[in-house]
Parts: sequence; structure tokens; C-alpha cells
Amino acid sequence: MTRMTPQQENVDKIGSVLVVGSGIGGMQAALDLANSGFMVHMVSDEPSIGGTMSRLDKTFPTGDCAMCMISPRMVESSRHPNIHLHTLAKVLSIDGQEGNFVAKINQQPRYVDADRCTGCGACEPACPSKVFDSFNQGLNKRKAIYALFPQAVPNTRAIDPQHCLYLTKNVCRKCEKACEANAINFTDTGKEIELNIGSIILTPGLATYQPEIRGEFGFGKHKNVVTALQFERLLSASGPCGGEVARPSDGAHPKRLAWIQCVGSRNAHNANPWCSSVCCMYAAKQSIIAKEHDPEVRSTVFYMELRAFGKDFDKYIEKAKNDAEVVYKRAMVSEVIEDPETQNLFIHSVGEDGKLVNEEFDMVILSIGFEPREDAKEFAEIFGVSADEYGFAKTSKLHPVETSRKGVYVAGTYQGPKDIPETVIQGSGAAAEAMALLGAKRGSQVVEVKLPDERDTIGEEPRIGVVVCHCGTNIAGTVDVEKVAAEAAGQPGVAHSETIIYACAPDGQQKIRDLITEKKLNRIVVASCTPRTHGPLFMDTIREVGLNKFLFELADIREQCSWCHMNDKENATSKAIEIVNMNVAKTRNLVPVTTASVGVEHTALVIGGGIAGMNASLSLAAQGYGVHLIERQESLGGLLHKVYTTIDGDDVQTYLADTIQKVENNPSITVHLEKTVHKIDGFVGNFETLLEDGEKISHGALLIASGGVEYQPTEYGYPDSKRVITQRELESDLYHQGPQDGATYVMIQCVGSREDPDNYCSRICCQDALKNAIAIKEKSPTARVIILYRDMRAYGLKEDYYKKARDIGVLFFLYTPDLKPQTEQVGDKVRVRFLSTVLGKDMVVDADYLVLSTGFRPQPDGDDFAKKFKLTCNIDGFLLEAHVKLRPVDFPSEGFFLAGLAHAPKNLEETISQSLAASARVGALLSNDKLSVSGVISKHNRDICMSCLACVKKCPFGAPFIDEDGRVSHNEVKCTGCGICAGVCPAKAYQVNYFRDDQILAMVDSVTDH
Amino acid sequence: MAHDEVKKEILSPEKKCEVPENWKANILAFACHYCAFAAADLAGVMRLSYPTNVKVIRLPCTGKLDQIYLLRAFERGVDGVFAAG
Repeated sequence: MTRMTPQQENVDKIGSVLVVGSGIGGMQAALDLANSGFMVHMVSDEPSIGGTMSRLDKTFPTGDCAMCMISPRMVESSRHPNIHLHTLAKVLSIDGQEGNFVAKINQQPRYVDADRCTGCGACEPACPSKVFDSFNQGLNKRKAIYALFPQAVPNTRAIDPQHCLYLTKNVCRKCEKACEANAINFTDTGKEIELNIGSIILTPGLATYQPEIRGEFGFGKHKNVVTALQFERLLSASGPCGGEVARPSDGAHPKRLAWIQCVGSRNAHNANPWCSSVCCMYAAKQSIIAKEHDPEVRSTVFYMELRAFGKDFDKYIEKAKNDAEVVYKRAMVSEVIEDPETQNLFIHSVGEDGKLVNEEFDMVILSIGFEPREDAKEFAEIFGVSADEYGFAKTSKLHPVETSRKGVYVAGTYQGPKDIPETVIQGSGAAAEAMALLGAKRGSQVVEVKLPDERDTIGEEPRIGVVVCHCGTNIAGTVDVEKVAAEAAGQPGVAHSETIIYACAPDGQQKIRDLITEKKLNRIVVASCTPRTHGPLFMDTIREVGLNKFLFELADIREQCSWCHMNDKENATSKAIEIVNMNVAKTRNLVPVTTASVGVEHTALVIGGGIAGMNASLSLAAQGYGVHLIERQESLGGLLHKVYTTIDGDDVQTYLADTIQKVENNPSITVHLEKTVHKIDGFVGNFETLLEDGEKISHGALLIASGGVEYQPTEYGYPDSKRVITQRELESDLYHQGPQDGATYVMIQCVGSREDPDNYCSRICCQDALKNAIAIKEKSPTARVIILYRDMRAYGLKEDYYKKARDIGVLFFLYTPDLKPQTEQVGDKVRVRFLSTVLGKDMVVDADYLVLSTGFRPQPDGDDFAKKFKLTCNIDGFLLEAHVKLRPVDFPSEGFFLAGLAHAPKNLEETISQSLAASARVGALLSNDKLSVSGVISKHNRDICMSCLACVKKCPFGAPFIDEDGRVSHNEVKCTGCGICAGVCPAKAYQVNYFRDDQILAMVDSVTDH
Repeated sequence: MAHDEVKKEILSPEKKCEVPENWKANILAFACHYCAFAAADLAGVMRLSYPTNVKVIRLPCTGKLDQIYLLRAFERGVDGVFAAG
């Protein structure tokens, strides 16, 4: 391919990106790009951004409220100066090419003037037209004038033109009279806009299977049969029954719940052939949360195969089984029958023993799967991208976020069924591709943030505003929030106190900003959730109206009060009062803190020269940053050297050689082979790493892609018998010699996985077994292949290969860990004995090859490695990310990022996506010219310092030092604000901003003031 | 004297005082923002239940814990201090 010179290449490129879809994937892509200096136009066909995740009640494994996690992202997306939201909008056409597209967008009329609407909701009661609420999955009704959901962003109502009486029948206009803000505009018309953009990211999301099609389950006929998404809304505090699960027929609390898995999935006859990837885990989550709602709940999950293939997923299933007493039944459900009197439901199923069972339940939940949206075909045509036979965007395993059209990328469920973290990863990954494409145009289209000057509050008496959050029912269901607010109002310095339904929602934050202005407040206490996640959001909020960020404190009355004391409402309320008053006392003593900023070294250090590290390095180099790539082996490539094809048949070795060559030839990438890190110093934006050989590298960010190792089995006679091999060895044999005609291959899954002490799923072994089994049968139909499995985890579109394997004659037999296959060497063969539960008898097979599906292990020196960088590992030894759902490639320590097998077992496609995601996150950081240093640092008072050197000896970061005059000085840039210096200083010469002694002691005094 | 009582007397540095019925210890915890405070949050996320008579004061690190805080807490009648980090 001829490459144009970079200069020519950049002439016509536009530094802005169109993101189509506004769910969690679209928002991730938009925020990464916006934070990286690109202008983003985000298009959503709904009146609010948020997508499918906003419809979920909670997410596993933490049980965090989905809305509480997504709400700050929605707010950030709507407030970001580099993101333009276009809601109720649709892309009509795309012209142009990679780097310079023209998008025509049709914006539907909202009939509500967004600038005037305050989101007060006074219009809704006035509206006489009731419509099934699509957000609540039709479980209740909303009005024709509506907000999609209470925390909608933008927080303005919209009129549904199909149901509005004025717009359909020319009568009514009641909302117009009810609206005091004069925001109703019936003359609103749709408009077409044209946008010039350099790249496009498609994240349109999904549709769910319509379960009416499977009449035997009675959905639509039996009232108490609901979809899993409906059940999500029933569980939700902001759902149609306020979080008190009520069954549709009579509003009673259901006690006996059943989930039917794979409804609409894994069935080519009257449903979709693919596996939807997420239903096994959401059913476990829902059953656990249902039990939390009502301890009397008894749950049963009817399933075909438990596909708990992700990081820590199996542990969560164990939690469902052991803690929530969920009964898992491997059974095909033939029908659901309603008792006409009680409207209870009977499930007929065939158990593993082949016997028919009939059980009664109060409610049945159908675990419906994903499918492409109805308009997927038209969508693909508009954007000029190819779709696969099912309507998902066509991508390759080696380029998972690239569509068939250059410059157009894809993320999330439009690329195939996947869960939230994988969607977030692809969102960042697609952003990385756009960043690489448009690297030279970074900063060309964006506007600078202008915050109002900070108000000088020095000398003012404290005027504290206290806002107590209901958090739906999360707090208000346990704690008497009105009482907490009333008690706070009586505290000295408190000028105003009130409660609010969701403090973190846009209307909540606007309320806080308004209060500051109206009531002339100079300090704010929000009593809601943990300061660890929501503190920065509120600090930004108050800064936007000119208040110093540090005149704020968050009182944690959710995680540390309402959630732990659900059964003791009275004492929980007393505790909440004490917590709030403590924080009010601290806030009285708060003073403004100024934050300094430091420059950024625009270079990344990548550890690990496997495919993850190499892909990330190439992306970063293309984005315009310098890269140091460190590999401890003598060559690049890592574990991928042993892989020959993907399950789709891509030639992996050619791809690998090509990638290595690109890395070696890239002038921005410095490769350090046979090198390891000795230690890392510095801080985000300005790290200095010392290699073992003494070389020093300055860098602004660190990306860890240190990989994992293959498990070397000791089971089933490996490595003593030549006839016993691993899947990897089989792959090599098949590639080099091909299969042996007429031979019998027996594969055993989960060797060394899913059992103590390595009780996790290695994720790739089922795919590998299918890949190799198909390769054998296709080349040599006379060969026999038998796979002994526990659960075939052919998730997502890989289900096609499972079906294909069965169709071409691969035999599958289930085994359980308590009854593993028995093997013995008999002459030249391995005799395998196992029990077939379906046939009900013992089987004996003489195998020419016994193939062990062995998984991954973390690096053997992983613990020491983690310690070197002060990182933590999960119980299995894989590095722990900052947040399982929403920050899957970040570490909690700023400036540290993660990709590849070091995070968890995953296949090549997933590793590539993740490495791109990490490079987007790194790129967004390195794009800054300056970073603000945290205000929480230690302040040194030289006047009272005796230079005893206690601090110099104790500081782990080397911030205090002996200055030229022989006395102690303090380098604030190195300071992390831990306060060890303040603790050891006998002269009290150190005070930590925001945690000063007077502030902490005020808390102690408050809580002991009885 | 029963063995247990002897043991109790040896272990207790002070004389036993009357413990009123329904008495609950008032406990103050000093927790590191990054670990113990996060753990207290996690307890909530996991809906683990514990008595309400413990309040957490967040510190940037337990390194910030100062003797003054502990002494002030005891001076003002706290029954126990829990430092975690």
C-alpha cells in the first residue's frame, strides 16, 4: 500500500468525531475523545442519553445501583464543553471519506424548549394522554409529555407526537397552561443539520428478543410471566413499583421465582442462534437482589449451560448458589402453565435424570437475549458498513472495532452481544482508533473551558448548605432523611438544609448550584453516597458557580449507613444524623485550597511486548505520543507465537509478524528487549522509571500489559505420555501436519480451571476446543472428536461454531467435577472412561490423542510485580482494575493503565480491544499539556519546623528534603497528601489540606458531643 | 475461685465497673480513604450488617492518624477507637 506523506494526509482531516448512540459505550467513546482534545457530536434517537444500562437496576458483582454509576457519566457527557448532544436525532446520510465526512442529521421536534424547561414536571399531571411507558418496559403508563426517566439527560421533557392530543387531534394544550416557564412550543419543527467530522463511531446498542414468539412460555398471556428487563424495572427503586417487587397480576410480593434461560437465544428455529453472553450473569444478579429485597424469596434458574466466563463470574454464581440459595437446574423447559385461579405458574421440565418435573412458582422471568435493532439493516446502509448475516456490524477478530468502511468504527452490542465492561472497553477502543486517525488534528475543533473566577470567601462567616439525598429508596428507604435534614439545620453555621431525590442527577446538581447563589452559601455538605466515587462530581458542581472545590464535604450515609443497617431504621437514622453533623463540623473549618498544575511528559511506558503491549504502542504512536516498550524476553510477540489461527480462520502468525515489524519500524516506539523495571518514581504525568540495567525513562503514563502464562498440566498423564497433549500443542500439530485420518481425539475441558486452588474460568479453552475440533473434522471427516465438558462456554457469536461442531459430528459429553473422566494408557492409546448422563451408562473410548484444554495462569512473579507498582491482584492473582464495570482498563492509581492477560484470561480479539482501550485512556491523559495536582497535599510551615528530619526519614515519596540552607523544605509536587509527615512531626509543622488537625478534631468533637 | 474468674482478674488492668444494661460501646473508626474507608463502603455494597454504634472518620492515609485524635476521642468519652488502613 502506498502511504501518503503525513503532511498531505492531514490536510483535509477534521478534528471532530460523530458518535452514534448514547449508551455506556457511546458515552465512553465520547468522553475519551472529548478529554483528548477532539470535538464530539453525540447522536441519540431517544429524548435522553443513557441507553440500556440506564434501564438496569443494579449491576453485579458489586450490586452498585446502575443509575448511580451511569448518572455521573451522563452528567459529564452533557456538561463537557467538547461534547454536543443531539437527542431525538437520526443520521440520514454520510458522505465523504475517512478523515473528512459530512453527516446529515435529522433532529425531531421536541415541542419543549430545552432552554426554558426547568424539568419541574408540572406539565405531566396536566396531560390527559396516557401511554405505555417504554422505559419501564410497558409495566406502567406515562404521559404524552414525559421525561424518559427521572434522571434523564438533558433534563427537559419532550412531547410524544404520536400520543399528544393536540398534535394528533388538535385539542387540549393543557400542558401549555401548566407550564409556568413557557417552554411548550407546539410550532417546533424538525430540522436538518449538517456536520463535518473526521471519524464516526457506531454504538447504536441493541434490541431485546420478543418472547411472545415462544408461545409455550405464555408471555403476553400469563400476567406473571415477565421479561428479565421488566424484572429489572420491578426491582428498581425508580421503577413502576418503587423497588418493592410486586407481581403484575395482584401486586403481591412473589416468593417463588423462576428464571428461564436462553429465551430467544441459542435456538435457530424460532429465535436467534447466538448466545447473548449476559443472561447467565444477570439472572444470578437478579436472583441475589430479589433475595436482598425479600429474604423469603426462593429462586430457581432453569438453564442449559452456565456461561460464567468472565473475571470472577464463577465466584458470583457460587455466591448465588450458596448465599442466596438459588437452585440451578440444568433442564429444558417445555412449557409454562398458569393456574387460572391463583395465576401462579407451573413449569414443566425434564431434569437431568430424564424425568418430568412439575413445579409451582409465583412469577416466571424470561431471560431474553439481545438482537440487533430493528433498523439495523437500514442503519448499515446509511453508514455504508457491512453487516454479518444476523445484522451485527461485520468486524474481524484481528480488528474488532473496525467496520468495513475506513474511518467508521464500532463498539458495544452492535458488534455482537456483550456485557457492560466489554462495551466500555470497545467504546474506548473505537475512540483510540479515531484518535490515531485524527491525531494531527487534536485540539483543532475544541473550545477551552471557562470557569467563573473563584469567589473570595475569606473572612466570611460559614454559611453551610446541607443537601440530604434520598438516592431513590437506597437511603430514604432506611433513613428518615427529612429528620436528618432537620437536625442538620440546627447545627451552627448551617444556613440551609433540605432533601433531594437524587443529588447526583442533573436536576439535583442544578439545585445545588441554585442554592449556592440564592442562599449565598459558602460551604456545601451533601449527605448521600461515598466520597470516593461522587466527591469529585459535586466538587466540580460547586466550582461552576465560583465556590472553591474544597469548601465541600460528602457525608456517606448510604454505603456506611443505610445499606448496612437496613433492619434497624431508627438507629440508622440516628447514625446518619451523627455522620452528617460530623461532616458539617468539619466543613465549618474548611478553607479554600489552591491547586497547582504540572506539565506532562507526552510519552508512555508500556510493559510487556505481547500483542496487547504492541497494539497499544502502535495506537499511541499513531496518536502522536512517544512510546517505550519494555519486554523481558529476547523477542516481541509473547504467547501469540504459539497461536496459528483464530476461530474465524485468520492467519495469526502473519498478523503477528506484521505487527512486530510495524512496532520495530515505528520511529516513535523505542523497544527495550530483555529489560525489566527496577523501580518507578514520580507521579501522574511525570514518572521516572529506572530499569534494572540502570537506564532511566521519563514518561507521563504507564500501561501494564505484562501478560500471563499457559497452565502446564500435571493431570491425566501429561507430560509423560506422548498421546496426551494440550490444545495448544494440538493446534501446532494441526497447522504443521494436519489431523490424522481415522484417529480418535478426546478433549477434556477445564483441566486446571474452575477448581480449587485455581477456581476460575480460563475463558478461551472452549473456543480453542471448538476451533481445533472443527479443523480436525473439516480436514479429516473420518477422524472422531469427542469433547468432555462441564459447560461449553461458546458465548456470543461463537455459538455458531458450537453448532457447526455438532453438525459436522463432534460429540459432546457432559461431566461433573466430582465424576471426572478416568484415563489409562493402553498400548499406544489412552483409554478414557466417563459417565454419559444422557445415555445413563459408562462409556469407554480408546483415544489416539487425549487433548487437555488447559487455561491461563497469572505470571508466576505477579505478586512481586504488583508490589513494585503498588497494585493489587484479585484472589486468583490477576491485576485488579479500578472499577469492574466502568473503568475496566484503569488502575486506581492515577496514570496507571492495564490491558491483556494481566487483567484476566481472554481471547485475541478481546485482548486487541482492550489494548486499544488502554491506549485511548493513556492518550486522553497524555493529550494534556498540564495536569492539575491534587489539592490534598501536605503544607509545610518552615517557621516552626525544627528540621529534626523525622519527615525526611518517613516520607515514602521523598517529598521533604534538606534544602540548600541545611533546613528542611517540602516538594509539593511529589507529595501525595498521605499525611505521614504530619503524623510524625513533633512541631506540627505540617498540615494536610482538607484534612487539617482542626478539621479532624471538629469531627471527633461533634461525634462525642452528647 | 473459678478458673475463668481468676483469668479475668489477671487480664483486667482496672477494677471492674458496673456495665449498665443495654449499654453499647461508642466506637470511632479512623479509616484510610483508599483501603479501610473503601472496605467500609464495600461492606455497604455487599449489604453486610454491623451495629450502628461505629462512625468512620476518613483520613487520606492512616499515616495521617495523630495521637491527638485518639486522645481527644478518649478524653471525650469514646469507648473504643478503631484505626484501619
